[in-house]
Amino acid sequence: MLRVMSRRGDDRVNWDQQKVLAGDPEATAAVREAERIFAQERAKGATAFRVEPGKPIQRIETFDETAEQIVLVPRVVGG
Amino acid sequence: MMFITQQVLTTLGWVVLALAISPMLWLLFQPYFKGLSPAERRAASLLRDMLTAEQCRQLIWRGYLEIPSPSTAQRVYRVPRTRGYVQVLDDGHAVMRLCLQPVESLPDADVVVLHKLMIEANEEFYLQQANKYLCVE
Repeated sequence: MLRVMSRRGDDRVNWDQQKVLAGDPEATAAVREAERIFAQERAKGATAFRVEPGKPIQRIETFDETAEQIVLVPRVVGG
Repeated sequence: MMFITQQVLTTLGWVVLALAISPMLWLLFQPYFKGLSPAERRAASLLRDMLTAEQCRQLIWRGYLEIPSPSTAQRVYRVPRTRGYVQVLDDGHAVMRLCLQPVESLPDADVVVLHKLMIEANEEFYLQQANKYLCVE
């Protein structure tokens, strides 16, 4: 799942990795959409984190469709 | 006498259980009680997913979330539930206040998650970005 923080709360894109591996067109389209949003937000300065239960949170630079959950936070500045 | 003791223990057990789960229930239902906007409800949902039960309790009862520094022993970041400075505590003493905010306006619950993610995964960058105000005693 990709979760993108915004003023609307967080927008989500879900996909089933098993279906992606099986070539399901709907799941594949969802992954492509998530990848597109990931690239678009990263270009705007967002930071991406891979979040998985029981594992340390990890900052990632590239989209990983095998991640259970990716959270994108907008660019931050000192206040 | 034994029967009364047993009843008291049972009641105490229920009280402890209720206290343990009440913060999670509060986080779950507060969007409806407080009439939060859809954005705030979604942010509350993300917050619930990101925190442990213990962290939920701390945030609700104390009004802040303490995040241990991944790199410095005895250092803790105290993130407020609502907007405000993040306090840095070394050995329990406030040494610094940090101000860091997203360029885009986010619901308060999302801001708490943002601090948690950045501190735990990218503390050095977090500190580089934040404006620092030293606490002088």
